Amino acid sequence: MRRRAMIQSIITAIPLRGVRVWAQRASFPGEREAALKELAAAVLPASLGREKTDAVAVQFIRWVREYRAGAEMQPGYGFTRVRYKGASPAPRYLEQLDQLASGALAERDLTARRNAIAAALRAANVKDLSSIPDGNYVVSDLMSFYFSSPEANDLAYNAAIGKDQCRTLKDSEAEPAPLKGGSGAAL
Amino acid sequence: MPRFESDICIIGGGISAALLAQKLSELKPGLDIIVVEAGKRLFDLENRMNYRRRSILYGENPWPGDFIEDQGGEGIITRTMAVGGSAMHWQGHANRLSEEDLRLRSMYGLAVDWPLSWVELEKYSCEAERRIGVSGEPSPHAEDRRTEPYPMPPMPLTYNLAQIRSWAERAEIPFYGCPQAKNTTPYDGRVQCQRCNTCTICPTGARYSPDFTFQRLLAEKKIKLHDQTLIRRLIPHDTTSNIVAATGMHGDEAVEYRARQFVVASGYAWTPHLLLLSQSSRFPNGIANSSGLVGRYMTGHLFITAQIELNTKLYPGMNEPFPLISRQFFRCAKDKPFVRHDIQIFESNAGRRPRLQSEKGEILFGDDLLNDWRAKTARGVARVRMYYDTQPSRESSLTLDPETRNRHGDPMPKIVHRLDEAAEARQAATHQHIQNIYERIAKANDTKILNVQASNYQDHPAGGCRMGDDPRESVCDSFGRTHDHPNLFLAGAPTLPTGGCTNATITFAALTLRGAEQIARTL
Repeated sequence: MRRRAMIQSIITAIPLRGVRVWAQRASFPGEREAALKELAAAVLPASLGREKTDAVAVQFIRWVREYRAGAEMQPGYGFTRVRYKGASPAPRYLEQLDQLASGALAERDLTARRNAIAAALRAANVKDLSSIPDGNYVVSDLMSFYFSSPEANDLAYNAAIGKDQCRTLKDSEAEPAPLKGGSGAAL
Repeated sequence: MPRFESDICIIGGGISAALLAQKLSELKPGLDIIVVEAGKRLFDLENRMNYRRRSILYGENPWPGDFIEDQGGEGIITRTMAVGGSAMHWQGHANRLSEEDLRLRSMYGLAVDWPLSWVELEKYSCEAERRIGVSGEPSPHAEDRRTEPYPMPPMPLTYNLAQIRSWAERAEIPFYGCPQAKNTTPYDGRVQCQRCNTCTICPTGARYSPDFTFQRLLAEKKIKLHDQTLIRRLIPHDTTSNIVAATGMHGDEAVEYRARQFVVASGYAWTPHLLLLSQSSRFPNGIANSSGLVGRYMTGHLFITAQIELNTKLYPGMNEPFPLISRQFFRCAKDKPFVRHDIQIFESNAGRRPRLQSEKGEILFGDDLLNDWRAKTARGVARVRMYYDTQPSRESSLTLDPETRNRHGDPMPKIVHRLDEAAEARQAATHQHIQNIYERIAKANDTKILNVQASNYQDHPAGGCRMGDDPRESVCDSFGRTHDHPNLFLAGAPTLPTGGCTNATITFAALTLRGAEQIARTL
């Protein structure tokens, strides 16, 4: 009887967990939107301005919500097996945002915040930014999300390159024009 | 069991199949042509912008559904299995091989000569470029003479490539824009390139892919296309050497195709695989294999890549998939040690990406990170790749692997590339020659080589059913007609005896178009 009850609880827990992950992804970041925007303001360039860092946080929210667990991944040369995207990072991100909200982001001073976030990154064993968010840690993934964008590439080069944006062949022979307002300008 | 009858049954639905079907339908109007492809048809250009977006943002497959889960194998370079084949996601580099590739034995005493002349092949290369739609400028080398101009003007060199060209030519090596299967003007009903920077998933259709050819043939009712149908066996006649049927599965249903002529156009892996699978009491080594060379002489070419710093600023992202090319080293003096290679140079962001930690190990945030990134952008980087000519040994093989089987129980292919003795012996000298060129370019510009990496696989694979005049030394003739079965042809990549030293898609297409004329004569 006890065994049957245990099996029943596992059976019911599986779909419930699936529903919970779906809900966490669909409503991400729920009550943690303010924390995510605070995080964006702490780790992205202050020269963008708060409006822009908030906008990046909103774009990241969309990225999380539109993540498709189990989607086929780019095959790449030489891979003999098809690979699939892992589970939604939303539940993990929410846990991490909870910890950051009560820890690093509770610091009032930006330097103190960054020191605490740096400690959290080290504790999470994050060494570098991946080319796209890898779903492991919300801080580095938010940074990867922004710094791999065409906008950030333009800002780094202070030029209107428009990487990965469909452009015409016209003008490709010309040196890309400098960004209006110089390299420190908000986009 | 459903049985389909036609004049010609083409097995495989890649670029060779598309061009073959197109040309046969022109040469013999009214011909009943069936193309059978194991993968799906992905005729959804309207979705490609979104697939591309998700590929960039999430690393998702930009060609969702372009594979069959249990139809893979060891040593296969790409899992793609769909109508259009691997040319659905090629970069569109439309180089030609050169006369030397066809005359390695007579010019250098290496490997074998191909059983057709360069003049003959060149004619069909022009046709392939016309049908595919290639933009390019003529090579500056007299040996690369053409009998027709490129169908479209060349892709304009970006600012980055113009800088790189000046930089590289200080080493006295001429470069020009690599010919591209991309529209520099509207061409054949497709739009001009919009420099989206993601040619492996072209969202506009400016880069040729075989789905366009197939869709047109279907719209004009010139072919029947049976996708998601895996051909598993070729069935010979009981007493003659003709092939009478191809059998396979459409989902869980067995199907049979009967035709006057069969063409296997399934690429370098699945063509020899099907021939080897088709064993019977009369043909215990498989179909077309009296020479024992089906699945032998698997070829391609090796490559070495360097990242070299420039002393000028570049802007990565202007048109990353479009390279410069040099054919300076396609020719090798007969009294010098043999080495042949191309040189392709791409804009690069190697060592120019944002990083999380400074050299001191400090975590970087915000403007500090951005400024650290900016500090690295003052000097650009070029990715310099050289594909070099190697020749395969007989032991360079595709075999049936009993350890890996698909849902039908068929053993999957296992490819192991091996160089022949001469190619193996000169590996060190080839690497040194290439290193010397890297150093020559860097020295001419007073810049430094950031890193050099040798490949560990054969790129642009081909072979496995090599063509030749002697039935004891080859599987098919120069038209792809198998020596053993008069109504069985092979098309494209698997028929190459050697792999050349640059991208060979145009050559696969040219050989197929030449074979089409011979096939038409038999119908």
